[in-house]
Amino acid sequence: MTKRKSNYIGPKIINTLLPIGLAFFIGGIIILCIGENPLEAYQIMLGKSLFTVKGFLNTLHYASPLLLTGLAIAITFKANIFNMGVEGQLLLGGFFAGITGASLNLSNSVAEKLICMLVGMICGVLFALIPAILRAYFHVDEMVVTLMLNYAMIKVLEYLSSGPFREAGSGYVCTPVIHESAMFQRLGIENSRLTMFFFLAFAILIVMTFVMTKTKLGMEITAIGKNPDFAEATGMRVRRKIIILMCISGGLAGIAGAGHMMSEKFKYTLGFSGTTGLGWDGMLIALLGRHNPIGILLAAIFYSALKTGADNINMYTSVPKEIVEVLQGLIILFLAVQFLDEHFGLKERIMKLKNREEVA
Amino acid sequence: MDFIGGILYDCLYHAVPILLCVLGGIFAYKANVLNIALEGMMLAGAFVSVLVSFQTGSIVLGYLSAILICMVIGLIFAFFGVTCKGNVIVIGLAINMSITAIAGFVLQLMNSANIKLDFTNAADFKIDLPFIKNIPLIGDILSGHTVITYISFLAVIVIWFLMYRTKFGVYVRVVGENEDSAKSLGLNTNKYRYLAILLGAFFCSLAGINLALERMTIFTNNMTAGRGFIAIAAIYCGRGDPLSCSIYAIVFGLARALSVNLSLYAGAAAAVFDVIPYVVMSVVLTVVSMVKYRNRKVRGI
Repeated sequence: MTKRKSNYIGPKIINTLLPIGLAFFIGGIIILCIGENPLEAYQIMLGKSLFTVKGFLNTLHYASPLLLTGLAIAITFKANIFNMGVEGQLLLGGFFAGITGASLNLSNSVAEKLICMLVGMICGVLFALIPAILRAYFHVDEMVVTLMLNYAMIKVLEYLSSGPFREAGSGYVCTPVIHESAMFQRLGIENSRLTMFFFLAFAILIVMTFVMTKTKLGMEITAIGKNPDFAEATGMRVRRKIIILMCISGGLAGIAGAGHMMSEKFKYTLGFSGTTGLGWDGMLIALLGRHNPIGILLAAIFYSALKTGADNINMYTSVPKEIVEVLQGLIILFLAVQFLDEHFGLKERIMKLKNREEVA
Repeated sequence: MDFIGGILYDCLYHAVPILLCVLGGIFAYKANVLNIALEGMMLAGAFVSVLVSFQTGSIVLGYLSAILICMVIGLIFAFFGVTCKGNVIVIGLAINMSITAIAGFVLQLMNSANIKLDFTNAADFKIDLPFIKNIPLIGDILSGHTVITYISFLAVIVIWFLMYRTKFGVYVRVVGENEDSAKSLGLNTNKYRYLAILLGAFFCSLAGINLALERMTIFTNNMTAGRGFIAIAAIYCGRGDPLSCSIYAIVFGLARALSVNLSLYAGAAAAVFDVIPYVVMSVVLTVVSMVKYRNRKVRGI
């Protein structure tokens, strides 16, 4: 059995790497079109953020929220539910974690961080609860609702941060900076930005992996993804499981937002989660990581390297850093298609081809 | 009276891009390929129409190139989704993201936050209907819209006819409802899926042109702001029936018109009114799904 399983890994890896290669190829053509050398651009983009110690640690730092959003999307995909509201849940979690961190000033910094995280998580859960209940009890398509609520949430937060919660003294729209006791301090290894948040995110990844593969809940969720009617017939409470799952997903997104707030941004601005948005990046990571924890870790690091490299590319070449978003879109596009059938191992495939040739 | 007239005029005005997207998405919905890429196709239509008009100075070229590019995107979507049998939801979202990224990339190359046409303005696109214009309230509401606005309302009837009164419409519905029986009839199911998606791309390009070129002669990135998703919600609500889906699209237009007109009086809280359309659509979708589910339970299907 183990041998057969290892056979299957070959096509899986090819199916994952081929989209990246294709996307980079098309991206390279685009870079050529604007008169730059694509190889040089890619080297600048990935070289510094992956192959220097400081750069790599920074990459890990930026990968921390991505780990959580990737996980948040991966677990819902597993049950065939589409929580597209991760972006909104992350923003809400980050916003209120920030407000809490700015208004609460405890002397115990661990307790303060914990409270901020908790607030972020609860916000994420509550916001995910709306589509979850609608889906479970009223059969409303959760994908459409979450997609629309994202826009609503962005507008609401825009209002809150420019109205009631605006920092009075600042020249642009932002909320007050959180207190130092709520910040994750840099660990200071090699002068990098790495904080404890990365290790926290990593721990959550391990815990969730355990929950999804070894516990009853995780197995039931996988069963629901495979066939909800069958799961219902065998006595699982599908509705309740859907709600629990959406809540976990929203909670993870909320923690990601809170962590991003406390380790990187320290205040809510209108560009809090970057240009593509950490929630959307999570989708790429979930797909690229094939819903598997090691895959998610690697994918988050890879994509984070791409994103941090984008700043370098802006600095040293005339290629706009939006090229990374183009690459992201293309990778997702190619990832949607299975190039090789994963039900056969590479070896079997080659054997088959050989046999065919011999026959011919 | 003027206030109500203004709201109703705005209602039609804001409903048009959604309406066109809805019309574009209906056939894909009926053919059982959920077209999430409506949003991206609309953005592409908006972007290309303004960009080409800006570069060439010709509005007609802008229209044509936007339609062409959207058809190409539709082909890409169809190729990956139908021929390669990929996950259409993921493909749709990928297209949405790619279009935003490419538009952002080009804007960055041009070194500006938006593209504005300076040789024309939105008033040039408005057409006054000859006789209707003079009728008091109705004239204010119906007259003074753009070409595509009038086309879109005619298109509702055309699409209805196409769906229920032609062979093509019947075949598309058969393909969506039961692919195996469609195949057993000798239908080329992929062909009908391609056609349904391409038809959608065509209408989305019109929606984009209307949104950017005709209404404002300006393009800013992400100006579609979730209209494609609202259109999908409207399609879900109307279950793919052209007439009822269109009514839901107009409901959205009304919500949007109310939010725009009321926010004038709201002062600082104006931003909150932008939320109304999304919330209204979510509530409508919920109510429709509840009713649908109850019907199913009562009939025992």
